[in-house]
Amino acid sequence: MFAYAARRILATIPLLIVATLGLFALESSVRDPVAELRVSCPQCDQIAFDRLIDLYDLDKPVLDLSNPGGSRYIAWLGNVATGDFGNSTSQGDNPVSDTVFTRAKNTMILAVPAFFVIASLATFLGVYSAVHQYSKTDYTITGLSFLGIAMPTFFFGLLLQVFWGIWFHDWFGMRPFFTTQMHDDNFVDLLKSITLPIVTLALVVVATESRFIRASMLDVIHSDYIRTARAKGLSERKVIFKHALRNAMIPVVTIWALDFSALLGGSVVTESIFSWPGLGPLLISSIFAADVNMVMAIILLISVLAIGFNLIADLLYGVLDPRIRIS
Amino acid sequence: MTEPVISFDDLSVSFPTDDGMVRAVRNVSFDVEPGEVMAVVGESGSGKSVTALAAMRLHPGSTEITGEVRFGGRDLLGIGEKEMRRVRGNGIAMIFQDPMTALNPVMKVGAQIAEMVLTHDDVSKKEAWTRAADLLESVGVPEPGRRVKQYPHEFSGGMRQRAMIAMAIANGPDLLIADEPTTALDVTIQAQVLEVMKTAQEATGAAILLITHDLGVVAGIADRVVVMYGGRVFESGSADQVFYRSQNPYTRGLMSSIPRLDAPKGERLIPIPGTPPNVLNPPSGCAFGPRCAFASDGCHEAHAELMSVGFDGTHRSRCHKLAELPDLFAAAETR
Repeated sequence: MFAYAARRILATIPLLIVATLGLFALESSVRDPVAELRVSCPQCDQIAFDRLIDLYDLDKPVLDLSNPGGSRYIAWLGNVATGDFGNSTSQGDNPVSDTVFTRAKNTMILAVPAFFVIASLATFLGVYSAVHQYSKTDYTITGLSFLGIAMPTFFFGLLLQVFWGIWFHDWFGMRPFFTTQMHDDNFVDLLKSITLPIVTLALVVVATESRFIRASMLDVIHSDYIRTARAKGLSERKVIFKHALRNAMIPVVTIWALDFSALLGGSVVTESIFSWPGLGPLLISSIFAADVNMVMAIILLISVLAIGFNLIADLLYGVLDPRIRIS
Repeated sequence: MTEPVISFDDLSVSFPTDDGMVRAVRNVSFDVEPGEVMAVVGESGSGKSVTALAAMRLHPGSTEITGEVRFGGRDLLGIGEKEMRRVRGNGIAMIFQDPMTALNPVMKVGAQIAEMVLTHDDVSKKEAWTRAADLLESVGVPEPGRRVKQYPHEFSGGMRQRAMIAMAIANGPDLLIADEPTTALDVTIQAQVLEVMKTAQEATGAAILLITHDLGVVAGIADRVVVMYGGRVFESGSADQVFYRSQNPYTRGLMSSIPRLDAPKGERLIPIPGTPPNVLNPPSGCAFGPRCAFASDGCHEAHAELMSVGFDGTHRSRCHKLAELPDLFAAAETR
């Protein structure tokens, strides 16, 4: 098990290098800071341009295999290896790692509760739908799921804001359960701030996951060993929860790992709509500002999360399913 | 005269499909006596498995059932779900066709057997596991102490079916329903598994209701036989009566379509022409009529009744031409 995990982690290193190299090259070539400075500052002379070129090593290639030391990517990689992600060019001249760390913490405040809401709600809806297949409730859950999948996130988020911020207040004359401020010090205020973003984040994921869990559960319910369990004289509750659920959840673990890592990487749309200072809005603004160090740090974090959670899913797979246990 | 373990009385089972109502079992009646092996023989779609599942009430919710299944002094079709659960696995236990899929892949074999014990018996978990190991040993699984801790995928097909049998006899049931227990196994393993079933039966005194299409299996183990076709009983009697003195064209057709070691050299197998009746739209009259070598116009008008053959009433057959059959069979023999 340990050797397997170690092997898997080592195998991700080439993957990370290819991913970061590609993104580094793209991000470095979308804008030409010198040309922009020429336009924005007509009075600047060659000395200013040279300083800019010198500051960001703009005269060096992204990757030159004949002279690795003179490559910007290799230099960046070397700094990253020592824990130095460089300074931001758009968020003041602060270390990128500080900003990313704060923003990642904010994103986590949304992502972790959102994941638990998603996992429990999707499991409940999926299992209930499967056990009561073709019932009115099943059709209702199915209908709402498709609505949830079909509804764009930005539209649902805005709808929630209008509902809680305007309509609810008009109807009941009450202060709505909604705020866009972060309140680290007050738990109730924090809860008020994160409720709507979490509902928005959860909607699409709950809708797709509950469909997946329903299908997986139906597969299992109609299998022979469930008939065997019934023939033993077990109660329906034991048949479903002891025999069916664990088998049905094996493929769901992968989906959970991917969805959770995606949540932790930050949501551009949801966080922007609710003015949440997470990773999503930071990534977008950094891309527009050609803040290479910042973009690379966020992308690296997202990649590591995706790879890490995939690994966790594979290891959990072995725990849940003895047939593929790694010896 | 002892009470039968289970008696099916005028049992009919239908289920709705997209194409209409399927009447899978039609007015089936037969008894299983204590300690005997009763075989129900028939082709696919003859209603034999549906009959067995109806006894356990393991059919889908939309199924319509009429008639009675009497077991332990009551009609199983009329009791509540909670009472039925006490019958399942305790009074009646079931062995299924495919041991590769009938065991839960993520539960240890010992846990699955122990669960059967714990469901119906008030014992400690440890005791149940000890009994699971003992049961595995009794069905001939070597190293039971180690095997209980393994998962089904670590068992071979024959070993899994042994584990299923161990699970089925865990609570000393009065009736063991075996639905095609050897069909999914290699021929060499089939004989072993049948042997295990017989030993288990002798040890527990349970009656066996053996559902199969394999006449070789029946000949080796059955005391009495019911032959089903198109959802109806076509012939019933002792194994000797049905095998050697069959009074039914369908049973006879089945017999001549299987190879025999004592057959004269060069004798050809005679398959039954045609296919089993369409369950949605069965032929009018005798269900076997369209495939029967002896059928005449009268056979296609109404279905025949199940009649007694011989004088003691133990041998029954369903055929319009019951009286002429001995002559017809003799004529077919000389041809």
